Amino acid sequence: MRTKIALALGGVLMVVALVMVFIVVPTEATMGNIQRIFYFHVPVAWNAFFSFGVTFGFSIAYLKTRNPKYDFIAESSARIGIVFTTLILLTGMIWAKPIWGVWWTWDARLTSSFVMWLVYIAYFIVRSFITEEERRYRFGSIIGILGFLSVPIVAISIQLAPTTHPKAMIFNDGLHGTMLATLLISIFAMFVVYFLFVFLQYDNCKDAYEIAQLKKKLLKESE
Amino acid sequence: MKTFWKAAFAIAKKDILLELRSKEIISSVLLFAVLTLVIFHFAFTADHETMTQIAPGMLWVAFSFSGILSLNRAFIPEKEDNCMEGLLSCPVGREAIYMGKCLGSFIFMLIVEAVVIPVCAMLFNVDVFNPMIIFITLLATIGFVSVGIIFSALSVNTRAREMVLPILFLPIIVPIIICAVSSSSAILAGGTFEDIKQFLLIIVAFDVIFFTVPLMIFKYVVEE
Amino acid sequence: MDNLGYLFAAYTIIWIGLAYLVWTAMRKQKANRKEIEILKEKLDEQK
Repeated sequence: MRTKIALALGGVLMVVALVMVFIVVPTEATMGNIQRIFYFHVPVAWNAFFSFGVTFGFSIAYLKTRNPKYDFIAESSARIGIVFTTLILLTGMIWAKPIWGVWWTWDARLTSSFVMWLVYIAYFIVRSFITEEERRYRFGSIIGILGFLSVPIVAISIQLAPTTHPKAMIFNDGLHGTMLATLLISIFAMFVVYFLFVFLQYDNCKDAYEIAQLKKKLLKESE
Repeated sequence: MKTFWKAAFAIAKKDILLELRSKEIISSVLLFAVLTLVIFHFAFTADHETMTQIAPGMLWVAFSFSGILSLNRAFIPEKEDNCMEGLLSCPVGREAIYMGKCLGSFIFMLIVEAVVIPVCAMLFNVDVFNPMIIFITLLATIGFVSVGIIFSALSVNTRAREMVLPILFLPIIVPIIICAVSSSSAILAGGTFEDIKQFLLIIVAFDVIFFTVPLMIFKYVVEE
Repeated sequence: MDNLGYLFAAYTIIWIGLAYLVWTAMRKQKANRKEIEILKEKLDEQK
């Protein structure tokens, strides 16, 4: 039931966001239509950081309490974080091609997103290398903590070089009214998608855990 | 506090003595590091000016790869014959074990750097054997080793040990590499301390964060 | 400047990506629930 409501809400919001992005919002003067990518690029980026932040928080919670549920949340959040980061990189590249003339430059934000992506891919690869459950949760939490700390440092260290990435302009010189509204709706839509996925994935982790327990029990009884 | 340092030094001393007895790892890591430089020569045969530009990068590729090679071995001796259990049953905090392991690996990396930097300076005729660059390298090695040790302890407890360390370690040390290489290049291009101050600040920040946090969570890696 | 082609590509990628994600998660959920039921039945049988 919860899933269905979230699914419906997410679907409606997505349609509203699409209408806003393609019909309501005026075309940006210098970049043209391609600027409309921005209304998904930015929400996805915020959500990616948010998901890895959640992973960080629940990794600490797991190490403190040893409740596997916290690791399930951390893992689910990291999983959608990777998908969001992939989407940031892809949409960013598609935007960069007509505007900058290249698919990729080693700019601060691009590089830090890319490194972030690599860290969390490693997070899942390493988890898959550990067969014992408790150890997998524990080591996953450790990587979830250290990985999240590295992201801002990468961004700062490249920030010293001049950047071509557009500055965040939402808070200072103000976005045109409808542009801001469109952005906020898109952010909210992505947020709903995030929670929908995390709930689903969390259930899946819990179910997988239960399956493993049941199988163990079954083995014991058949002996 | 006193027992902490005593224990840490004892562990570092044990590691160094163990290595001095066989000299297996240090000799192969050194050979590997020099070989990296040789491969670089054949990969980029370039004029002196270009070489000066890429020399700091070559150094840090050599350090990273040989660092991975040696860090991979950092906990393997403990794994054999259940030495880790002996170490953990010592009446010292896990923090002291982490500190000791870091010290041992730090000294190990210093030896590698002490060989690779002059060799690079001679082979490529670039002025990397320079007090400022040595200072940068020392500063960067602290963070390098403290990240490496916690991931080394982690990877030794997984399947596919040797694969786990590089995929975790390399992305995390990206900032160290960026700052060390950029500041060394600035020095080679005639820059002064003022020019590289920002990079050094980031390296120090990295060292502080990635020493204290692993120090705090190391106990979760080695329990069991 | 009209870059509708690029724009279209970007949105298609986002939509396919997100829809695929949620779809696989939901399918997995169904499969897991089924497996749990089967396992529980087997456990009951053995008792």
